[in-house]
Amino acid sequence: MPVSYYIILASALFCIGVAGVLTRRNAIIVFMCIELMLNAVNLLLVAFSKMQNIATPPGSVSVGGSDAQIFVFFIMVVAAAEVSVGLAIIVMMYRNVHSIDINFLNRLKN
Amino acid sequence: MPILQLLSDIPVTGSTTDYAPIALQLFFAIGFIATMLIASGLIGPKRKTADKLENFASGIPSHGDARQPIAIKYFLVAILFVLFDVEVIFFYPYAVNFKGLGWTGFVEVILFTSFFIIGFIYIIKRGALNWEE
Amino acid sequence: MNALILSAVWGIILMFCSILVKNKKAIGYIAAFGLLTILIGNIAETYGTQITHYNIYPMLLLDRFGLFFNTIAILSVFIFVLLSLIEIRKTGKYEPEFYTLIFFVICGITILTSYQNLLMLFLGIEILSIPLYILTGSDKKNLKSNEASLKYFLMGAFSTGIMLLGIALIYGGTGTFNLQPGTHSVVGTYHGISFLEITGLIILMCAMAFKASVAPFHFWAPDVYDGAPTPVTSFMATIVKVTAFLAFFKLCEVRVTDTLTAVNWKMIFAVMIVATLFIGNITAIFQQSVKRMLAYSSIAQAGFMMYAIFSLNDVAKEGLLYYAMAYSLATIGLFATMSKIKDYSFEGYNGLAKKQPTLAATNAIFLLSLSGIPLTAGFFAKYYMLASVIKTGSYTWLVIVGVCFATISIYYYFRLIQAMYFKTGNPDTIDHEITPFFKNMLIVVAVFIVLLGAFPQLLLNWFYF
Repeated sequence: MPVSYYIILASALFCIGVAGVLTRRNAIIVFMCIELMLNAVNLLLVAFSKMQNIATPPGSVSVGGSDAQIFVFFIMVVAAAEVSVGLAIIVMMYRNVHSIDINFLNRLKN
Repeated sequence: MPILQLLSDIPVTGSTTDYAPIALQLFFAIGFIATMLIASGLIGPKRKTADKLENFASGIPSHGDARQPIAIKYFLVAILFVLFDVEVIFFYPYAVNFKGLGWTGFVEVILFTSFFIIGFIYIIKRGALNWEE
Repeated sequence: MNALILSAVWGIILMFCSILVKNKKAIGYIAAFGLLTILIGNIAETYGTQITHYNIYPMLLLDRFGLFFNTIAILSVFIFVLLSLIEIRKTGKYEPEFYTLIFFVICGITILTSYQNLLMLFLGIEILSIPLYILTGSDKKNLKSNEASLKYFLMGAFSTGIMLLGIALIYGGTGTFNLQPGTHSVVGTYHGISFLEITGLIILMCAMAFKASVAPFHFWAPDVYDGAPTPVTSFMATIVKVTAFLAFFKLCEVRVTDTLTAVNWKMIFAVMIVATLFIGNITAIFQQSVKRMLAYSSIAQAGFMMYAIFSLNDVAKEGLLYYAMAYSLATIGLFATMSKIKDYSFEGYNGLAKKQPTLAATNAIFLLSLSGIPLTAGFFAKYYMLASVIKTGSYTWLVIVGVCFATISIYYYFRLIQAMYFKTGNPDTIDHEITPFFKNMLIVVAVFIVLLGAFPQLLLNWFYF
């Protein structure tokens, strides 16, 4: 399969994520859309990893493309750390306002 | 020039037949579920009573709204679980290269794990997993 | 490496201080001592003494520029902690955790000043940001703090996603995460540069501009700076922002010169500079709250720091260090004073010179420095920035734009000086918190700013030795 298929799929997922962040009003759903963006990037990285692996001439010292897969692991771990901080913030918000609608976030505007 | 057209000459895999085992597994998984559902629908006894439409909650009659607030401790445990759960991911590349990395790799993994144990000790000492409070 | 290891270790030590140390007053001093050891460790490393000789080359490279910036950043954090000891103590039960997070931010700073790999850039940015999301929400009962925290978190996570997309595309184009570009791919090139790399770089630049709050990606900054507790705002608007700029500079230094054949970066940066200066300065004029005015002023100052990224030469490099020092110290001082005043509006400062002459005098020096009056550090900071553009020889009209906006900025900075000195009123200060130690610290910072302004070579000579 050509790599362009993966690029199209990953960009579609990424755009769905971006659209969700920009249009949805529920903090949890916005958050899920951000996760979708990160996972689209993961998919893209894995596809590129395979592409680089094929592009590497056989018998060369470096294992082509394996660094992208390690990068994916780091993205997952950092995303988990972000999830835990983000959920904690949302819970804190909910305890004070009893809502997770981000339209409520307008106290700072003026 | 469209970017995707330019890239289309780079193949990602040798052939699509590499995915045959996955397709086979998918086929069997879906087939098994479908067969079971249809078979139980055909063979099993049929009772049409009002009780059947009730939500099943471990045999206890259900009451109240499911969306009532849950104690904050559950969230705390869930959040901490996510954090510690995902870190296991770093053991995969280590496990693949276990022999190649040798003792240096082992020391590094021990160092990595000890950081987590420090975090875990901190959580316990701070009382985050304390239920009776 | 010294600063990185020490800051991680001190972070863990402070974490356990919440369990082990019973004397609450000691915690602030333990943290200050920790910062001092990190500072000494970092200076020792600048002159060649290291704790370990672990090979980290393909990931991090500790050069003199990065180490020197570390010294400036850690010194600023040290001064910040000494000035906000009382405010941080007010967080109560979670005071040790506050310091822990600050130490982890320093970890991120040391990574960002020495990264050689885009993976490290990503990790550094995240280690820098995640503690800040928590610090912004550290005032748990305050709705404004909650809101700022959630907003900052959602925006920050969104920009992280965009940044990762950029990095992934750059990888697709070059086949490496190294900061130094690898072999360019042969398919799909434009002027010899891969399409994927160009797209990725532009996206990555957007994400970095977001972290550094450069227009048009500045929209989160005023709200977050306004809502966060004052010490945290001070920390975010100075040290963290300056570090983001340094990371941005390191990225551009390599990648922009490499892709100059394909993208007109100078034009893009010039537009960003003008937009940032315009939005920051013009909006700051109309603010009624000093905290919000300083938030917009920090965007305006970011516009000046963008000049370094525009010109990318030796003068810009020195200028960025100088600007980091001048801007951070002055802003930290201003925010520290603000946290002792209950009313954050301009009226709240009326007549401060009568009631607290030391505070008013030092604040006046900070404001003069920010507006770039000669004999203060801010003047030479701006001078270096503009000189770097002249040295590149093109886009000299940017210098004129810079001078114009610097003149406009004098208006809103002097408005505060006017309120302090020439208006009568009784400012509502928290008197018992204005200790002699606090006053002396402010005087030290002010003297330092004047010294830097009078002898600008002091700092830079040290850099070269």
